[in-house]
Amino acid sequence: MNIRTKAMIAGTTALAGIALASAASADAHGGTFTIGITQNNVGVDSYQTTYEEAFIAAAEANPNVEVVVLDAGGDVSRQIAQMQDLVQQEVDAIIIWPTNGQAVIPAVREAYQAGIPVIVTNSNIAEEGFDFVSSFSGPDNITQGSRSAEIMCDRFIELGIENEARVVQISGQPGYTTAIERAQGFEDRLPEVCPNVTLVETQPGNWNREDSQRVMEAFLVQYDDIDGVYSGDDNMGVGALNAAIAAGRAEGITFVGATNFAVGYDAMGRGEYWGSIYQSPVDDAEAALATAIAILNGEEVPFLNYFDTPKITQDNMDEFDRPVF
Amino acid sequence: MKSDNMSNLIKNGAIWGFIVLELIFFQIAGEFWSLSERAFMDLDNMLLLLKQSAPIGIIAVGMTVIMINGNIDLSVGATYALCAIVMLDSMSWPFMESLGDWAIPLAWLFALLTGAVLGLINGIIVWKTGVDAFIVTLGSMLGYRGLVFMYNGENPTYHLNWTMVDIAEWDLFGVETPALVFLAVALIVWFVMTRTVHGRNAYAVGNNREAAVNAAIRVGPHMLINFVLIGFLAALSAVTFYSGSGSVNPNDGMLFELWAITAVVLGGTKLIGGAGSIVGTFGGVIAIQLLRKGLGHIGADTATVNLVIGLILIAVLFLDRQLNVKGKEELKV
Repeated sequence: MNIRTKAMIAGTTALAGIALASAASADAHGGTFTIGITQNNVGVDSYQTTYEEAFIAAAEANPNVEVVVLDAGGDVSRQIAQMQDLVQQEVDAIIIWPTNGQAVIPAVREAYQAGIPVIVTNSNIAEEGFDFVSSFSGPDNITQGSRSAEIMCDRFIELGIENEARVVQISGQPGYTTAIERAQGFEDRLPEVCPNVTLVETQPGNWNREDSQRVMEAFLVQYDDIDGVYSGDDNMGVGALNAAIAAGRAEGITFVGATNFAVGYDAMGRGEYWGSIYQSPVDDAEAALATAIAILNGEEVPFLNYFDTPKITQDNMDEFDRPVF
Repeated sequence: MKSDNMSNLIKNGAIWGFIVLELIFFQIAGEFWSLSERAFMDLDNMLLLLKQSAPIGIIAVGMTVIMINGNIDLSVGATYALCAIVMLDSMSWPFMESLGDWAIPLAWLFALLTGAVLGLINGIIVWKTGVDAFIVTLGSMLGYRGLVFMYNGENPTYHLNWTMVDIAEWDLFGVETPALVFLAVALIVWFVMTRTVHGRNAYAVGNNREAAVNAAIRVGPHMLINFVLIGFLAALSAVTFYSGSGSVNPNDGMLFELWAITAVVLGGTKLIGGAGSIVGTFGGVIAIQLLRKGLGHIGADTATVNLVIGLILIAVLFLDRQLNVKGKEELKV
């Protein structure tokens, strides 16, 4: 009696699970390629949520592709288990959005040893793992930084201050590749396009709006003349903007970020923030799938396969949707 | 007495019935929904399942002993992360680097010692203050996690050593190291719990602490040993897992305590203590991993997996309660 009740309950709960599950699973057998993806943490921000939706939509639009969509929920051990499962299921290719750029390397090696091509998406794994990866598909942080320099310089030329302007930089968290590359791209490009503009000081804002605001407050006290602020993303850029508004000095300053966030987009709409770099999760997802398909078709794919991240400023912002993040 | 045995048999057997049900279900459902050509009940897949069960399984074995005692340990996830950090960070200390690959066993030793010491701290506080283990380990969970973040901030701690990875991926007839460790731990602790005085005392303490004291069982030291054991096992779990991955995020191991408790409860161990078995816990661990893996196999997403496991846990607890209510109505002899 008890066993039967238990079995029944187990059965019904399992059925409830399946009803939900079938919506998430790809619809039918018989596709040419089966591609598995293990994502970092889908629910945690809307960039990742939009990425997943776009990825599934792109896969459904392609009749030659079946996808197994998994989410590690930010848990490294779960992501490693998912990698092993995908290898065991003998998928044709695996796309991974690493929860930890180092911890997944052995799991990536397992896939590589099983002859399954691995594509890393959005953020790359550490260099020790490059040998086991077919391609990285994601944004090019250096280009994002150098395009920000161009936006900044173009604006200075418009304002006629390209020979005297002074710029401060608020960078991302020290030690993070993304932060280092975005700073590097900006610092290398700025002297090429605007040789007479001075970068007076760089301080880390740790990807955090409050930290960045404090950094900017210090800059405002320290320097009487600031014409431009470059920040590693719009979140920090808006922190700096808030500090400048509070000090009554926002008017004469050009604010440029390296990745456009909704807060930055809104501030651009209000005319307070000048420009940024537009990085779309939809492009990110579609690029990852396209890279995987290209590799499966035997096409030559560059190891670092970047997707385009265009410039966005007050002048052309109506061509872009408000970012979801 | 006889019907008591019956009801125990049903409770202990239920988890295995459930596992069989899961296997059949995923095998059949896999035919329809899975994109994989391979069967779910493939031998390789089952061996992989055992390996993937190891991190939570090793901890769950220790948790069973703690819960039979009538205690609980919420700090195992933080202990797990801290021991992983000690292991990986110690390998980049200058004197360790000069040892070459001999640093590996030493790093393991450091991690295991750390786990035992963290467990010892929990045990001493529980013993000497008499504060409920739930509160003590809730505190140490936060405290140990704090230490994890103090060690390296938000950054991952990282040391990739391919020799260590190869040891972690080594296999005996297809059973890889983590699975072997899990099986060995389960076997040893099962032996301790069923064949030794310490094991019998564990049930006695959990069943009726007063009576245990009267029977001259030294409850304090007894519990202390068990807390050291679970700390050690949390460290062992970290050693087996991180030897194969080489990098730990500061929030790794979060919710591990709850997964371990879920597995233990699914396996029929009572939250109030005094009853439970390692074999049941082993079944509980396998059942959870089967669900995770099986739902993934047929294409369900992570949220669905958690929902289903939650529902099943409630169902199991409900059944357990029904069985116990029936027991109480009977004549006490």
